[in-house]
Amino acid sequence: MTSPAASSPPTQDPDPFHNVSPQERAVLDYLRTRGYSAAEKALLASIEAASSEEKEKAETIAAEELVKTLAVFTQDPSRSGTNALKDSSNVLQELNSLGTPANLQNLIASIGNVGAEEILSLDPTDKQEGFRELETWVEGSLDMYRPEFRPILFPIFCHFYLDLIQRGFKDAALRFFREFSPSLAPAHSNTLHHLSTLLLPAHVQSDETAQHLLNEKYMIRMSRSGFSLLVGWLTEGVGGEALGSGLGFSGEKGKRGRAAVMRVVNNHLRFDVTTTKSSAISPSTWEETTGLLSSLIPQPNGSSSATKLFDPRAFNMSKGDLKLGPAPINEELRTETERVLREQAMVERDQSVQYDIALTKPQPLPGQTAPAESDLLPRPPHFKTVDVDREVSAVRDARRQIRLDPSVLNNVDPNSPQASAVRARALPSICAYTLHDVVEGAPCCTFSKDTSLMAVGFAESYIRLWSLKGEKLRGMRSDFSASQIRDPPSLRRVKEKKGSTTRKLIGHSGPVYSVAFDPVSGSAAPPKHLLSASADGTARLWSLDTMTNVVAFRGHENPIWDVKWSPMGIYFATASRDRTARLWSTDRINCLRIYAGHLGDVDCLQFHPNSLYLATGSSDWTARLWDVQRGSCVRVFIGHQGGISSMAISPDGRYLASAGEDLTINLWDIGSGKRIKKMTGHSASVYSLAFSQESSLLVSGGADWTVRCWDVKGAGGPKARENGATDSGIVQKYGEENNNETADLVATFPTKRTPIINVQFTPRNLCLVGGVYQAPETR
Amino acid sequence: MNNVKRKPTTTTHTGVYKAESIKDVAESLGIGISDPVATALASDVEYRIHQVVEEAAKFMRHGRRTTMTTADIDHALRVLNIEPLYGHTPHNPPSFRRAPPFMTHPSSMNPANQNSASSTVYFVEDEELDFDRVLREEKIALPKGVSWTAHWLAVEGVQPLIPENPPAIPRDTGEAHLEAPSMNGTTAIPMTTVHGSGLFAQPSGGLVSTITSASTVGAAGTANAMVKKSTPTSAPPQSQNLVKQVLSRELQLYYSRLTGSLLPPSTSDWTKRSAALASLRNDAGLQALLPYLIRWVGEGVVGALKEGAQSENDGKILEVLMDVISAILENQTLFVEPYLHQLLPPLLSTLLHSSLPPTHSTQLRISASQTLSRLLTTHSTTYPSLSPRIMKTLLLALISPSKSKGSREGAVWGLVGVGKEAVRKGVVEGGGARVLGDEYAPKEGEQEDGLVKAVVSALRVLHPRSETDMNDGLDPDIPSDKQVIEQLEEVLGEYFASKVLGEGDAAWARAILGKEEDV
Repeated sequence: MTSPAASSPPTQDPDPFHNVSPQERAVLDYLRTRGYSAAEKALLASIEAASSEEKEKAETIAAEELVKTLAVFTQDPSRSGTNALKDSSNVLQELNSLGTPANLQNLIASIGNVGAEEILSLDPTDKQEGFRELETWVEGSLDMYRPEFRPILFPIFCHFYLDLIQRGFKDAALRFFREFSPSLAPAHSNTLHHLSTLLLPAHVQSDETAQHLLNEKYMIRMSRSGFSLLVGWLTEGVGGEALGSGLGFSGEKGKRGRAAVMRVVNNHLRFDVTTTKSSAISPSTWEETTGLLSSLIPQPNGSSSATKLFDPRAFNMSKGDLKLGPAPINEELRTETERVLREQAMVERDQSVQYDIALTKPQPLPGQTAPAESDLLPRPPHFKTVDVDREVSAVRDARRQIRLDPSVLNNVDPNSPQASAVRARALPSICAYTLHDVVEGAPCCTFSKDTSLMAVGFAESYIRLWSLKGEKLRGMRSDFSASQIRDPPSLRRVKEKKGSTTRKLIGHSGPVYSVAFDPVSGSAAPPKHLLSASADGTARLWSLDTMTNVVAFRGHENPIWDVKWSPMGIYFATASRDRTARLWSTDRINCLRIYAGHLGDVDCLQFHPNSLYLATGSSDWTARLWDVQRGSCVRVFIGHQGGISSMAISPDGRYLASAGEDLTINLWDIGSGKRIKKMTGHSASVYSLAFSQESSLLVSGGADWTVRCWDVKGAGGPKARENGATDSGIVQKYGEENNNETADLVATFPTKRTPIINVQFTPRNLCLVGGVYQAPETR
Repeated sequence: MNNVKRKPTTTTHTGVYKAESIKDVAESLGIGISDPVATALASDVEYRIHQVVEEAAKFMRHGRRTTMTTADIDHALRVLNIEPLYGHTPHNPPSFRRAPPFMTHPSSMNPANQNSASSTVYFVEDEELDFDRVLREEKIALPKGVSWTAHWLAVEGVQPLIPENPPAIPRDTGEAHLEAPSMNGTTAIPMTTVHGSGLFAQPSGGLVSTITSASTVGAAGTANAMVKKSTPTSAPPQSQNLVKQVLSRELQLYYSRLTGSLLPPSTSDWTKRSAALASLRNDAGLQALLPYLIRWVGEGVVGALKEGAQSENDGKILEVLMDVISAILENQTLFVEPYLHQLLPPLLSTLLHSSLPPTHSTQLRISASQTLSRLLTTHSTTYPSLSPRIMKTLLLALISPSKSKGSREGAVWGLVGVGKEAVRKGVVEGGGARVLGDEYAPKEGEQEDGLVKAVVSALRVLHPRSETDMNDGLDPDIPSDKQVIEQLEEVLGEYFASKVLGEGDAAWARAILGKEEDV
């Protein structure tokens, strides 16, 4: 619902009620000073139209719980509004006769004369006063309640600020901001900064964040006892405050301030009162369940405000189970693969062929449902040689891969002599590819699955390919007629004679933000195609046979941030600034599906390994999982405190790792949509994430020039201190730089001056990282 | 008016854009606007700038950078459907210049500026380029193409200590090092620093300058802020790891004790000195001290020789220093080769200096030559050019006419140190003996001085005296012997020939002439 303040122009002419009796005028004044401009307007309307059907107030109090508990207080302002309509002429008397809340009478008495009324209507100090009191109250509350109360400060701050701006009190707004924003800055600096840029009422009207704040309910989670304390404070000014502070919050100013807080609480907050004890709720839960959730969670069609979902968990539950098992493999293809494997085993006299053949049939993990053949995206009915080769080499890779098991590190003293042997079993070998002499920057980099090629997209709108094996990259000559080509030798003849180990692909007209090699040939052969996405709004398909651009996929009108192939090729998805992700197939120039719902840019995406689902990460701080075919959102992951910059899904299909601008990496259980843990340690943006083939190790690379290895199965949480105590801080502050590494960070490998833009694992579990060396003297 | 925009820059960056700037721009366009309008517009302009910058930050993040460039601003403007600002590249950021206060027409001055005389004016420096000159002179260097290198960042979880990887650092300093990049623009909360660094980096400088367009009067505060803020952000992080080898406390202590017991050379602590030298000769683990010791020796020699080196004390000092050098060379655990070029000057100086203290001169030169000999025998295999070069120096000292007697004696001793061949070349074939014999032959009755001794012993090198040999003299009556005597006199000069002959050793005389094989 729209805020009353927003709906009424702030510079309302004080003379709309020239034909109103003095008593009514007094009521109107009172309402106006208390900020119930909607009620005031309604009252005016009712006076003029003599109709008394105004139920708006009732709606503003969303939580019934709140209404009940606040009965003593809410009666006064709301009834004064509604009752007044019934018998407007003697509201004042009625109010007096109500008599029960003494403070209200005092209030009315104090605003009796005109001078005070003027001051009140223009004086924005009630906000300042109110917030200061709220802050003092929160900080002075008992330790067990404090983490519970703290989240309430931020929305109230935002609403006070926006309210002041909307009323044109820029000075007061700036003063207010200056005074109170520092205490909130650690956790909310992004939003705070954005708010601070709003300086005029017009900005508030046009700004999206502000409108979200004004139009949506801000979710706050509270325990029952905490909530009743809050209610007590709001009504009486007592309860929960620090001992010895006495009746510090009473008095005239205090009451007005509390009233201002109360208004925001009524209009814009929604409390989820839980029965659990406040101490049982972990700090991370606050992150996941507070905020403007209703818009972040996809709402079922035609849902009214009453049925709106406010809990991501409820939404995720409502979507049912997902089929996260490995994709089935075509039966014919599998028999063919087995045949080839047996043949090879015969030649090589390899005894372990039985073991190999078992690997051709992927088994879902316990508890996972494997999708049926019919669930997959449509594919050509017949398989090709390249498919068999891919499957065969996948089996061989699976057998030969280096096993990485970080869990063995758990009980090992890092300084003990056997630690190095254990580390070798737990941690990968990492090969770093460093680019030198990059002028404008290279936003992306990728390696082909067979590690024969590296593609790098540059800010100067081109893509450069390198052969990592030192082979010549040769395209095709342009002067041949297609009719000449009949057999492979004639095709070879039209290849370019000369070539070098690097090749520039030119076609985009903006920075290239993402490149991806097609997965069809797997690790058996070099890829045939490359996809790229650019700021010019196109995704382009490049043939690596001819070294030319084959298709430009247009559809996004805005820069495309990310492009990814589906695990089986043919299909791919793009993520764009236009807040959508789209599904394409290489043989159509129009997109097949549009995944819309994010409130901000879709910054990154990732296919689930069985290609049934697509995960997207957005600047709206959430990640979503979409059903690729239906185009519907099936999971929403809320908990990051910043936009999401990178994602990875574990090869076993169980976990989603997402890295955010809050410098944390979150690990999610895709099936339930719950966060498993939060991993911190990076000191700058995380640019890339990758799981090892066994899904046991997560590797991240970022702008802090480091590559870090995380134990996926490890417990996480704050690192144990030397003296044995863990810093189970009540609220995890983001600003805390020192020792914010969680326990599951198993290794950190710094580079000299290379931000890591890509991290990936080869099928045999070698880790490849790519980055651009930054010369110390950049300018 | 004055209190409209009182926003401290400590917490946020709002309030950067001043209402005065708006009025200036309006003025330049010929529009007069009132204060409230200007204030409102300033707020709006600022909001719009933030909008653009927030959008540009997205492009920066996706460009995997931590510094915002003008290209990011351009892209942001493009997606916001605004014409980009052409002509700004990150490669030549606009530089702001401060103009002297403009006081000629008070009437045209902004009334808001009247009370603040301090409001300086900044403008973008627009350098004029002469096309001809540019075409003629400037060589545009093509940038090197992008290249890649691969290295092992980790091998089985262990970071190899190779040049491509940063040096291993202790844990606590490692943290500080790792935080260095975050200072470069992205700290814990990237968004704010994006604005911090991005707004004040060059691109927005360009933006603001364009907004204020022709009349930059009053953009003073803005530009000032920009210029000031841009300095810390554009400064590269000082995280270069200087490879420093630090001497341990123990070694420092050892060094001071060692040098203290060696010098000054008083007679009393002879035992101490010999102990120090023995330690230097035999102890392992002094490699780190080597450069310091060699420098100490070099300075000691220079110091002793500079003062004329006449006193006995100087002689003693030099003696000790020579002992130190030989001790260093004797120590098997020291890797001296890289320091040979530093060891040779003190040696040769001692050898060839014209006036060594008379009490020690011969002794010093002999010991120096012995040290030189040792040095050459150990290291001439790795440096084949070493002995020829030293020989050349010595020959020059021996033969060139202007040298003093002392130098020549030293040169002879030096040649002895270099070896047999050097003696033959210098003293015999080079005519060293003849020259010396002519010049310094002692008069009758005088004592043989060091020089003569040196030459004789040099000649002796050519044929060491052996007990078993028959010492039969040369008989001038035998023609072959006579020929030898004549040749000897021709080669060595009369004085030394007679000296040789006086020994009555025919084999020696023949050896001097290179006729050993004849016997």
